[in-house]
Amino acid sequence: MFREVLVTLWLFLFYIVYTGSTTPYDIATGLVVAALVGVPASRVLVSDERKLLDVKRYIHLFYYALKYMTVIEFKAHMDVVKRVFTMRLNPGIVKIPVYAKSRYGRLLIAVSITNTPGTVVVDERDGWFYVNWIDVASTKPEEARLAISAEFEDYAFKIFE
Amino acid sequence: MTSDLVFWAGVVVVFVGGVFDFIAGLGMLRFPNFYVRLHAATIGTIYGAVLPLIGVALMALGSPIPNNTFIAGGCLATALVLFLVAPIGSHLLAYAAHKARAVEWSPVVDQLGEEE
Repeated sequence: MFREVLVTLWLFLFYIVYTGSTTPYDIATGLVVAALVGVPASRVLVSDERKLLDVKRYIHLFYYALKYMTVIEFKAHMDVVKRVFTMRLNPGIVKIPVYAKSRYGRLLIAVSITNTPGTVVVDERDGWFYVNWIDVASTKPEEARLAISAEFEDYAFKIFE
Repeated sequence: MTSDLVFWAGVVVVFVGGVFDFIAGLGMLRFPNFYVRLHAATIGTIYGAVLPLIGVALMALGSPIPNNTFIAGGCLATALVLFLVAPIGSHLLAYAAHKARAVEWSPVVDQLGEEE
């Protein structure tokens, strides 16, 4: 039951942010729409409801989102911006191991890798990501992992595992 | 005073986003092949689209215009959705291009190709 209520509340929050309105009409509509979507979807979206109640995970998620959008993205953007002008390119596709087991954790890592300029996940199979890397610094999987995804994986473990 | 600050912070963020969009366009023109151009496209998506959307949200919040929270909320929600959905597009394009061997390039290493 917790699961259904929490998913509905998150969807309601998204609805209110999206409409930017807290009139009684919008609150009522938001609650109805969020419940209609959240109750049936909650079983698909959440497998362990205890994680949804863990405040520490939310703090890690918030801190990671902030750090990712400012520090990590800025460094990656500036690196590729420099390459636009210098044309120092060393592209290739390397394989890196992924240790996170949960689907959300793996999604977070894949999205984080692809959203940073310089790295794009091309394929995923048997616990490996194949990453298109603009500057291949190492072809050894562990060294490539350290350069590309180690930090994302740390947070994936803290938030979803 | 605070609303002015929020508005002008939004203007700066939108301007920075525009600069990154311009550089992403240059990258699309200068980079040699599809796989490398994908990285320029990422610049255009994240700091070129997500960031300006956040900037427009700040501008709306700092403006006395009617329904400003509606504009800000729409921008923030769109930025979040774009942030989550855009990498899926990049991934699918790269996956399809590699599977179809549609791109001629000389990579330093292609460990995915070696295993196929």
